[in-house]
Amino acid sequence: MGSRIQLAQCTPDQAKVPDVEPGGISSFLAPTTPVEGLYVHVPFCRHRCHYCDFFTIAGREDAFDAYVDRLKSEIRASASCIQGPLQTVFIGGGTPTILPPKLLAEVLQEIRSALPVASDCEWSVEANPETVTPEIAAALADGGVTRVSLGAQSFQPERLKALERRHDPATVERSLQRLRSAGIDELSLDLIFAIPGQTLAQWESDLDIAVGLGIRHLSAYSLIYEQGTPLTRRRDRGEVAPIPEDLEAAMFEHAIRRLDAEGMRHYEVSNWAIPGSECRHNLLYWRNQDWWPIGPGASGHVQGIRWKNVPRLGLYLEGQGLPPVTRPEQLDEDGRIGEAFMMGLRLLQGIPVQRLESLLACGDRSGARRRAIEGHVADGHLIMDAVSLRFTPRGLMVADSIMVDLL
Amino acid sequence: MPVRNFSIIAHIDHGKSTLADRLLQATRAVSDREARDQLLDSMDLERERGITIKASAVTVNHHYDGEDYQLNFIDTPGHVDFAYEVSRALTACEGAVLVVDAAQGVEAQTVANAYLAVENNLELIPVVNKIDLPAADPDRVAMEIEQVLGLPAEDCIYCSAKTGQGIQELLDAICKRFESPRPSQIEQSRSLVFDSHYDDYRGVIVYVRNFDGGLKTGDRIRMMSTGRTWTITELGRYTPRPEKVKSLGHGEVGYLVAAIKTIDDVRVGDTITLELDPAEEPLPGYEEPQQMVFCDFYPATADGGSGKKGEFEALREAIEKLRLNDSSFTYEVQHSEALGFGFRCGFLGLLHMEIVQERLEREGGVEIVQTAPTVTYRVKTTSEETIEIHNPADLPDPSQIIDILEPIVKIEVICPEESIGELMRLCDGRRGEFRGQVYISDNRQMLTWEIPLAEIIYDFYDKLKSITRGYGTMDYELIDFRADRLSKVSILVNGEAVEALSLICHKNLAEQRSRSILKKLRKQIDRHQFEIALQAAIGGKIIARESIKAVRKNVTAKCYGGDVSRKRKLLEKQKAGKKRMKTVGSVNIPQEAFLSILEQNE
Ligand SMILES: Nc1nc2c(ncn2[C@@H]2O[C@H](COP(=O)(O)OP(=O)(O)OP(=O)(O)O)[C@@H](O)[C@H]2O)c(=O)[nH]1
Ligand code: SF4
Ligand SMILES: [Mg+2]
Repeated sequence: MGSRIQLAQCTPDQAKVPDVEPGGISSFLAPTTPVEGLYVHVPFCRHRCHYCDFFTIAGREDAFDAYVDRLKSEIRASASCIQGPLQTVFIGGGTPTILPPKLLAEVLQEIRSALPVASDCEWSVEANPETVTPEIAAALADGGVTRVSLGAQSFQPERLKALERRHDPATVERSLQRLRSAGIDELSLDLIFAIPGQTLAQWESDLDIAVGLGIRHLSAYSLIYEQGTPLTRRRDRGEVAPIPEDLEAAMFEHAIRRLDAEGMRHYEVSNWAIPGSECRHNLLYWRNQDWWPIGPGASGHVQGIRWKNVPRLGLYLEGQGLPPVTRPEQLDEDGRIGEAFMMGLRLLQGIPVQRLESLLACGDRSGARRRAIEGHVADGHLIMDAVSLRFTPRGLMVADSIMVDLL
Repeated sequence: MPVRNFSIIAHIDHGKSTLADRLLQATRAVSDREARDQLLDSMDLERERGITIKASAVTVNHHYDGEDYQLNFIDTPGHVDFAYEVSRALTACEGAVLVVDAAQGVEAQTVANAYLAVENNLELIPVVNKIDLPAADPDRVAMEIEQVLGLPAEDCIYCSAKTGQGIQELLDAICKRFESPRPSQIEQSRSLVFDSHYDDYRGVIVYVRNFDGGLKTGDRIRMMSTGRTWTITELGRYTPRPEKVKSLGHGEVGYLVAAIKTIDDVRVGDTITLELDPAEEPLPGYEEPQQMVFCDFYPATADGGSGKKGEFEALREAIEKLRLNDSSFTYEVQHSEALGFGFRCGFLGLLHMEIVQERLEREGGVEIVQTAPTVTYRVKTTSEETIEIHNPADLPDPSQIIDILEPIVKIEVICPEESIGELMRLCDGRRGEFRGQVYISDNRQMLTWEIPLAEIIYDFYDKLKSITRGYGTMDYELIDFRADRLSKVSILVNGEAVEALSLICHKNLAEQRSRSILKKLRKQIDRHQFEIALQAAIGGKIIARESIKAVRKNVTAKCYGGDVSRKRKLLEKQKAGKKRMKTVGSVNIPQEAFLSILEQNE
């Protein structure tokens, strides 16, 4: 279709792709492309948490069968676009483990049989503690899942309530046990801090409990007041008070100290792992590598093009094969460089010098970026040495302010 | 046909516009089907706020005592800022219907507007409105009218603009009690311009009241103040639909169109005569409105007030267009170090300022940053000059100042007796001088103070409302300029003075006020990667200080399921936000901070 040539010239604003056209994305890409990762989105939850702005729907258990059929059709259709081997598969949500074990197994099986998956592929699944039954654990393990990330969020009932998460903290440990006995060892927990009403002592105790559970990976996110969520509206109405910035900073600093003492390496702004247990799929994102999206609301990145499947369940279920996508975006050179800084600096090892030099060598704002970097190095926010460009501990605390200057 | 010209005047919200609706309906000018609330309030803003901003003139017919009467009436605004619109309307009339709310009674603008009518030698018909309300006490209100305004209680007409009760009686009284237009005094034609507005298609539409002779389509007319001439292409009346007529007879009210391109060619208050047979003397006009409150409008640019041409020009266009319909505000180009190019504008009052801003944003499609309002100061200098200053930044060096004079207003407040003590304290704290007290009814009084305008333009009215639990009302009038111990307070951010934040303030209050301004600034300015010092100074002396601690944490790193564009867009928004700020030293001050000194809660 000659569309690749067109693409090379297009900036995000000019990309003339209809917002919704089933399979539209395939005309944008080369016939088959080497893709390292696969992301599968399962947009269902038992309850919609009031801080959450992911694409997910509560109370659509009736749609599970149709959804899994539809997913399988998309997986088969994407086979012709993807040139493997896939190094990572990540099933996220929503709550993937809300699906009945049989359906979950079908999804895993379809991926394995239809797509070129590497033999040492990392298979991650996100799960919520209350959904991990022995049957689910078995379905995951039998389906070849190697890694599970459990949304614990907090161990304080009061804080879970403030988040509108409905599980009993005790289910976290039970779920981990079930997964282990099914044979899955790469276990990770998600925690949230800076929850309204949370004290430093409570956060310390959350971390103590988490490390006591023998996990190999931990993600700790500060609560974000996302635009348009009920939580944010409550804050704007004065019904919910965010915790003070100083306390939030102290919580973050405590996590860094505490987890380091536990032998978990801080490898990304919000992620810690025992060396070797880093999430390979998420590393793809931060290194600007290529992955393919499956399911409504999933985002992908291939050949410098970013797109997202239209996040609408009804529309998705109506079709088959490749789903409609929202307007693909291809950044110009300057935009891509900015993005590389934004993503690359999130890794604590930073951007390796050779890559840094090539990033700074092109783009019309290279002079401005170099000056900004020098300024932040002088301020003690960044380190630039023979190995890489990376944040200092102080710089990490204000990473967003610094990235803004490099974007 | 006999003619009656009158205005409807009242305190704000006492029901003028609703009464006008009933008059239109009762005279069948508007069918029941077409009727909607406050029909004459046609501006979007008027309908949303439920208040009248511009006076509007309408013609209806009423049959009384065997004869058809032509009634021309003008609905006027009640808010004190628009008193000037009321006085324009009154000069075009022989009578005024004074509407008083049967539950609230006589209020500050009832008194002020009634006096205006009396000064213009108008006949008054007092109307006690809203008698349908459960809390209505028409007899008490009629007594108040007699007590305060000297109009006999038995002359009051009781009515409800909601139910229509008493409307026929009012229409009859209008025909019976108001006088006909006075006979022509000269042979030549003279008509008074009492309003004008700009229409995109027809140019300026001029509202006239004829006093001598008449006007007809095709007449060659002359504006007496400028001497410029035009040919009338259309004459008409609002019924309330515009209805063309061939001529306007003696004493009648209507509009004319004459291919006039800009509103500046039409001076409200001017006299129109005929080119062929001109009058020698114009009709008495009226005083130009006086701007009391000034502030700057800057385009809310994305480029941090460096004043990108496009946005400034868009603002200029919007202002010029609005001026076509509202000649009572003034503007001149202004340059501020912090905010770039903009306009210093003068307004009749705070509500007027707010309305102009809203209309610019809504009708002109521009986004505006507005600085804190100030009043006009007169500065006596060592070179024996008196200069007028609308902006603290323009003050000469302190060594050249002998005296700073500030505008003083007389305020009249009507309030329940129990709030008098607290009101006294409020006015004392604002340098007010108590001048007198008049009894209105058993538990209400009218109090008078002389007080610096600067002390009441911010939040005085809100304070008054809360002290009186909503029952207090107030009117003000400029009476004098007086000297006081005023000085300029500069605001420094990390040691650098920011002119756009400076203010003129009484020495005794300077410290307290500075402290509250710095507190507000502290909330407005985001934490930076370093500590920021905020200071207030008179001359070189620091009188207040605050500091903003360095930022501790600004990092969010959720994964968004690989939705990288999303994170980038969030950061880009931060970046754009940073641009929308003014950088002083290396401190980014959001444009809103320039307004934060607007509210002052002590
Ligand atoms: N119950 C009752 N309400 C009335 C009556 N007349 C007016 N109102 C209400 O009083 C409010 C104010 O009426 P308006 O006609 O807008 O008052 P206005 O005097 O024109 O106000 P401004 O133009 O802002 O000075 C509206 O909510 C009307 O519906 C009446 O006779 N009875
Ligand atoms: S469980 Fe997770 S994805 Fe589902 S609503 Fe709550 S936060 Fe969102
Ligand atoms: Mg009105």
